[in-house]
This record gives sequence, C-alpha cells and structure tokens, in this order.
Amino acid sequence: MDYILMGIGAVFGGPELFALGGIGIPAAPAMLFLGLLTGIAVGATPGLAGPMAMAVSLPILISIFGVRPDALLPVFGFLIGIMKGATVGGAVPAVLFNIPGTPDAFMTTLDGYPMTRRGMPKRALKIAHLSSVSGDTLSDIALFVCAPFLAVLVERFLDLPEKTALILLSLTFIAAVMGSSVGKGLIAIGLGMLAAMVATGQDFHPRLALGVDALSHGFPMVSAVLGILILGEIFWTLDDHWRGRVSRDATEATDAGPDGLRKGDVRRILPHILRSSLIGTVIGALPGVGSTLAATLGYTWGRRVHAKRKTPEQAAFGEGAPEGIAATEAANSAVSGANLIPVLSLGIPGNAAAVFLILAADSIGGFNPGPGVFTFSHPQINPELVVAFGIFTLMALGNLLNWTIGGVFMRAMGIMSRVPIRYLLPVVLLVTLTAIYVQDPRLGALWTAFGFGVLGYLFRCLRIPHLPFVIAFILAGSLENAARQAFSATGGDPFFLFSSWVSTAFMLMAIATVFLAGRAPGERRG
Amino acid sequence: MIRAIPTCAAALLAGACFTLPAFAQSAGWTPPGPITLMIGFAAGGGADTQARLVAQGIEDATGWTVLPQQVTGNSGLTLAQQLRDAPADGSVIGMIVSETLAYNAVRVGNPDLQASNFTPLATTAAFQLGLVAMANGDFASWEAVEAAHEAGRPIRLGTATERQADMAYHLGLGSGIEFNIVQVQGGSEIMNGLRAGDLDLGWVAGAQASAVAGGEMVNVASGIPTPLAESPDAPTIRELGSNFYLDGYFMFVAPAGIPDEAREALSGAIASVVQNPQTEAGALIARNFGGASVLTGEALDAYLQAAVEDSVRLIDTVR
Amino acid sequence: MPRLTADLVLGLAALALALAALLFWVPADTGSGIVERIRGQYRIGDAMGPAVAFGILILAGIVLAIEAWLKPASGPGPSGLGSAQLGFLLLLFVIFMISLLAMRWTGPALASLLTEGGYRSLRASLPWKYLGYVTGGTILVGSLIALAERRISVRAFVIGFFAALLLAMFYDLPFRDFLLPPNGDL
Repeated sequence: MDYILMGIGAVFGGPELFALGGIGIPAAPAMLFLGLLTGIAVGATPGLAGPMAMAVSLPILISIFGVRPDALLPVFGFLIGIMKGATVGGAVPAVLFNIPGTPDAFMTTLDGYPMTRRGMPKRALKIAHLSSVSGDTLSDIALFVCAPFLAVLVERFLDLPEKTALILLSLTFIAAVMGSSVGKGLIAIGLGMLAAMVATGQDFHPRLALGVDALSHGFPMVSAVLGILILGEIFWTLDDHWRGRVSRDATEATDAGPDGLRKGDVRRILPHILRSSLIGTVIGALPGVGSTLAATLGYTWGRRVHAKRKTPEQAAFGEGAPEGIAATEAANSAVSGANLIPVLSLGIPGNAAAVFLILAADSIGGFNPGPGVFTFSHPQINPELVVAFGIFTLMALGNLLNWTIGGVFMRAMGIMSRVPIRYLLPVVLLVTLTAIYVQDPRLGALWTAFGFGVLGYLFRCLRIPHLPFVIAFILAGSLENAARQAFSATGGDPFFLFSSWVSTAFMLMAIATVFLAGRAPGERRG
Repeated sequence: MIRAIPTCAAALLAGACFTLPAFAQSAGWTPPGPITLMIGFAAGGGADTQARLVAQGIEDATGWTVLPQQVTGNSGLTLAQQLRDAPADGSVIGMIVSETLAYNAVRVGNPDLQASNFTPLATTAAFQLGLVAMANGDFASWEAVEAAHEAGRPIRLGTATERQADMAYHLGLGSGIEFNIVQVQGGSEIMNGLRAGDLDLGWVAGAQASAVAGGEMVNVASGIPTPLAESPDAPTIRELGSNFYLDGYFMFVAPAGIPDEAREALSGAIASVVQNPQTEAGALIARNFGGASVLTGEALDAYLQAAVEDSVRLIDTVR
Repeated sequence: MPRLTADLVLGLAALALALAALLFWVPADTGSGIVERIRGQYRIGDAMGPAVAFGILILAGIVLAIEAWLKPASGPGPSGLGSAQLGFLLLLFVIFMISLLAMRWTGPALASLLTEGGYRSLRASLPWKYLGYVTGGTILVGSLIALAERRISVRAFVIGFFAALLLAMFYDLPFRDFLLPPNGDL
C-alpha cells in the first residue's frame, strides 16, 4: 500500500513534464480543438452521437496521421475532443426541441424543454453547459487521481457471476423507477431484451428471425436506438401538429422575464452538480455500466432531494427546474472521465466512446491500455505512462476549452430554435436516416429504424416508458454474455448467481428493488 | 489426418516463394465501375482498419475506386451470403478470415456458403495464434497448467469462435485436461478477461503480440505451424496432444466465376499493397503480424481446400 | 366490477402473447435449447435469453393487469390507441414507402433511360450518386411538413430539396468512404 502511495507521489513529481513535452507538438491541441467543435456540432445534431462520429473519424485520422507512435496524441486529441464536445452538445436539442441529441441527454429533455417553453432557452443551455463541464472536470480529476488503483480494486472485486448479477440489478432498478407503473416498465424491459435477442444467438441458426432473411441480421443498435428515441419522438410531435394540438411548439413560449443565467442559479444547482458528478464518476468507473444509468440515477436522486427542499415558487422536476438539468447533465458528463479509469488501468472499456479510444491505441500501436501503462519504472522511462499523462493533459486542456469557447459555440447552435419545429423535424428525420445509412448502408436499416420509430410512437400512445426499452436493448447482450460466461466458467453451476456473497447480495437487492417499488407506487409518479 | 499437413506446408511455401511481377496495370483489366469492398469486421477495429487501408492503397496504386462498407454478422457468413449473390465481375469483393469459408461454412452446412461458391483472391496476414495467459499468473506455462489441473483446480479457457471452442475441447481431450470453455466476443475481450482474472487461458490470434513482447502475457502454446514471432520456443498445440492447428488468414474473396484476368488483377493489387511496408496497410500489417503473408492463385486454393478438410475432421472428432 | 380499461387489456394481451410465444415460438425458432450439452459441458443455449425476456413480459402482463384491476381510475389522462393513431401511422407508412422507393429507383430508372451502362457503374459519380437521395429526401421532408401543416405547399418541398442537397454534400464531399442512400444497396 505504501508503494502505491509512493508511486502516486512520484507520478505527480515526474512524468508530467514529459507529457507537457509531448503536448508541445502543436498537432495534438489543434486536433483537440477541431474535435471539440465537431463534437459539439455532432452532439447537438440528433441522430449523430459521439461514438458514431468517433467511429467515422478514426479511419480518416489514421490515414492522415499514419500509424507512427507520434500519431497517438493528435488522434487521441481529436477523439477526446469529440467525446467532450458531444457530451456538452447533446443538451442542445434536448433543451430546445425535446429531442435527445445523444441517448444520454434524454433526462435533460424532462426539464430543459419545459424551460424553453417558458421562454428561458438560454438560461437552460447555460445551466446545462455549466453542469456538464463541471461534471466532466470533476470526473477527470477523479480519473487523474484514481486511475492507477481504484479500477484494480473494482475489477478484483467482481468475477463473472457478480457482473451478471450487477447487470440484472441495474435492469430491475430501471424497470422499478421509470415510468408510471412497474408493469409498463417491465413490458418495456421485456420487449427491449426481446428485440436484442433476434438473430444474436451463439448458434448459427438466427434465432427468432421467423425464417425471414431481413431479420436474420438482427436489429442494428444504431437503427433501433435512434428509431425509438428520435423517430418515435418526431412521429409523436408531428401527430400533435397534424391534429392541431400545437401546444408544444417552441415558438409560443410564455414570457418569464429576461433570459440567461440568474443570480443565485449557480448556488441553487451547485449541490446537484456535486452529487450527480459523484454518482456519474462512481458509475463511470464500473465497466459496462454507462452514462444513461448515471443520468437516470442522478436525476431520480436529485428529484427526491429537490422535492423535499424546494420552496413553493420553484419549479418541480419535470416542470422546468434548473436543478433537473444540472442533476442530469453533471451525472452523464461525469461518466466520460471516470470511464477511462478501467480503460487506462485495465484496458476494459465502459462505454462506446472508450471502445474507440482503445481501438485507436490498438491500430496505431505503441500504447497498450492495460495495467502495464501505470508501471512506474525507474530510471528507465515508461513511454506508455508518458502517453497516459499526455492524454490526461489533453483532457484537462479540453475542459479548459469547453469552459471558455464551448458555451459560446453551444449557444450558437441555439439559432436553430428560431426554425419552426414543423420544418425542422422532417429535416432532422432525414439527417437521422442518413446517419443510420452511413453507418449501415442498407435501405433495410432505414426500414428497421422506421419500425422502431413506430414502436416508439406506440409506446408514447400507451404511456409505456421507452427509455427502459433502450437500456434493456443495450444491456441484453452484455447480460446474456455475462450469464453464459459465468455459467461456463463455473463449470455449469445452475446456482452461479448465488455462488458468492457479493452476487447473492446483488440478487437480493434486485428482488428488493422490484418489491419495494411495487409496494410504494406513489413515489414513482411525476 | 497426416496428409493435410504437407498440403498446408506446401501452400505456405508456395505463398512465401510467390513473387509478383511488377504491378502496373499490366493485367490489362479494369473494373466495370467502382468496386464495392464488403468488410466482415466491426467498424473501427483492427481488421476493419486493415481493410480500409488496403482499399486506400489499391486506389492509390491503380486509380480504381474502392467503396468499403460493413457487412458484419454471423461470423462472416452474412457477408458470404451477400457476396455469393453479388455480380461476379470483379466489382464486388469482401474481406473475411479463412475460417469463415472453412470451419464456419462446414459447420453451418448451408450449400450456398461453401468455399466452392467463392473465388479467393489473396491473403494478407496469418493469425499469430497462441494460447495466452498472464505472465505473473498461475498458468504462465503448460507445466503450470498441468499442475493446476492435477491440483483439481477448474481452468477457464476463453474462446472467441466456435472453432476455437472445438479446438479447446479437442486439446483438452488430447492432453487429458478438461477446460471450462468460456465463449466471449473476440480476442481483445479474452485479453481483458485474462487481465481481470475472469479467465485463466484464452486463444488470441495476434492482438497479444505487444502484451507478450512487453512481458505482461505469455504464449503458453502456439496454435500455428510456424514459430510465433514473440514466443518462438512455445510448444505447439500438436505437441501437446491436438491433431490440428488453429491457423488462419485474413483474406479477400470474390464470388465464384469471376474472369481470370479480374482475379489476377485484384489479387496482384492487394498483394502489392500489403507487401509494401511503405503503404499504410503494409505498415499496419508489419507491426501487428510481423509482416504480410500473401497466398494467391492456386496456392491459396490449395490452402483453403486443406483448411476445409481439416474442419470436416475437427467437427467429426469433436461431435 | 372494474371497467375494462386500456391498461387491463394491454396487460392481458402481453400475458397471452408472451405465453404463446414462450410455448410455441421460442422452441421452434432457436438453434439450441435453454441449456445444451456440448463439448462435454453444459452451456446456456440460445433459447435462454428469449425465455427470460418472455418471462419478464409474462410477469409484466400479470403486474399490469393487477394494477389496472385494483385502481382502474388512476391512469394519467387519456391514453390508448384508436383509429386516429392508426390512421396517422398509415399515412406515415405511405409517405415513407414512397420516399424510399424514389430514393432507391430514381437513379437506376434514369440511368437505364439515358445511358447504356446502367446505374451501377455510375453510382460513385456526380450527379448520379445524389439523384436518388435528393429526390427521396425532398419527397420525405416535403410531405412530412405538408402533413404537419395539413396543406401541401411548394415551400415545404423547396425546404426538403435544399436540406437533402446540403446533407448530401455534407456527407459526401469531405468523407470519401461514406455511401449515400441508395448507393450501398447496389
């Protein structure tokens, strides 16, 4: 233990200089800057998400910079820029148009959009920016401090059965807390898992494909998630217009005094930022548990605290409370930094963005994310450690850029709020479809997205929460794999979920969550 | 069973000796419009990057247009199905691993997907397949694995494909060690599992190179007939009781029945790009696989045929 | 006697469908059982995941039916599905289908009229590669705007045309590997 502390001390004395030397190459910060602008624009565009932009730009970056070790930092710079920019930018369409630009920004719509409707889009955006960048910064600090040993402990704690139990726990938790009824939450979870099961089995027979060729490829995640979240919302809103129920139009905002940050706003949201940053950081450090869960937790927790403390004239969560935006944005932004803890120290990605950083490292070479990175060798310099601190430096620089120009650029996207939503939504639909096609060039993928859009519309008609569907869809694969691996690894033990006290505890918590939520239906409403 | 090995060796030898004529449009074939390149690997991964860089290299060298697109799923068989139905005029090619047309096609049994429906063009790189463990763990050598088995300890072996799982079982039968076979999504996930202690051993087809060179992991055994670049002294799995190797190639294929001059021109273009370390693709392959392994023409046909026969026997042995 | 609310119907429907699927669909359309014995070991088969998913749906149906039975009046506002929603979906479907058909076939149709080589060899060259996308995109955006406004206007289609054109250029000009619809299907 002393050795670890000594090692951490040595880090802050020594290798940082090398990192600053590494950053001296002007290509890296320049790429960071470009990546940040791209990321904000991409995040602000519904249908484009950070990982998608990273996936697209990685081959381009590699062809520009080649596969030499000195290409590492510029490429990482751009990717980190996208990651940070998209985190901030995702709030823009969520606040202005009730459409999450990135899946994580869904909870931001709950309070951001009502604020826009009450004539305070700028204030909402400023709060989103402030919270997002604060969460990101705090999380990065946690990364810089904890990366060497926290993830090692977490990972050592959890074997395959415990990981399976943990995913089950998160799913039951989501079913229990989201939406107006446990039954509907469970329907969403069940359908989401079901959709993820189509044609994804281990056997060569594409399961549940009904023998239909188009189904035998399964549902691509991009089409399904964007279909439910974005197309569903667009259809629902267009339906409103078609019927003449145009109360949701951004143009008829009520006047609520001057727009922009108000005195006392920062003090009001600060506790929420801190709490959510902590939640996001902790969740982010757990491999595989993504920012959507962090946002959900941050929001639900914040709502409970806010409901107790708020003065009567303050808006409640879901009605346009600045605290709601802060609680969500800080939590989902705080995931991105902490997510790199397991990536850098164990080589295990916690989310899609982290996957692309690993892929970049893998393709370029000279940097091998894993325990070897944090080997503090004397007197010989560990070049990977230098790159790791180069990455930290880039992240800190990215936060600085985000604090300064990020907000300006983000609000520049607010210009879009002047476009009448009935013109904008069809265009957004086309952007989304094009983005899907670029990722998966088959017209069938567009039909898949349309089908999921219709499903999303039906969910909205029947008041079934659609977010648990998306989360279950994403987690189902990990859950099935983890269960399979745990079952095989324990040599076919049918009670593997109860093989250790940790997994037993997770399972008991999962059962308790559903039971308690079922017993106290009132608290989930609102 | 023995007969297949010389065939493979001959194929390898022929491939190594195969030298290309200076490639300068000499084949006199130009594609009828742009070439679609189907990539059977996830976007952004190492294999995907390799495919896209080869496409770029071909464009630079020949002036043709190559349009890469992802066709993933079902261990490459989705791509095979689509490629089979594509026009056989050289305007559609695909990149997969040889295992797709050998083991996977045999295992699934669908006549549409068998190797005879395709024209192999060129291989780019050979699997550097090893049985990998953590260097500082309890399974860092085959003796340690045997000792752990003697002590009654269950041993988790990570596999990324059905063929690897069959081979793990087959190796277990041959060596008398019963492994708990854990199927995961890919080589990098196996390495993550090793690091996290979720797995004890695992097959990795080349991604382990830098971890082994850096002393983090070891190749407990080699799955290929030629020595592993990082661990030339590792025992081969045939020495440890297996009847088969677990070798394979990244390769480009076209539908069956494309014109001979098209095959020649495409194979030549691919080969000259990956064999030239000055190109991005060549540099990537040199770094990740210790150099290109190019088989074309009849040598490649022979290798694929041998691989199919091996797969039939492996499946018979295991079932 | 509780009323037959939408939620009750939904819950019972989910229960019945999931039960039927679990008993008939899952066994018929999966390659391996819930647990299978392979290579001397047991492993979880392909039917386990779907079985769990349908199990959750059965549970959901029961819970929802009980909830609706016990407190039929607590539904938050009007919910449900009527002919209005289905009509809207039908309209959407028609618009989507026409747009995708236009996207898919405009280029090939014109190419077969005007050239001999056909569209395939032209799919990476201007202006051919934009034709289908811009036509289909214009129809899609234009008719959806018309749907929202409840009137057909030239303006809507002009917006659609420029949006599609700008998007085509945004994706196509800087990134040479991107394929616009329908060029990846050919």
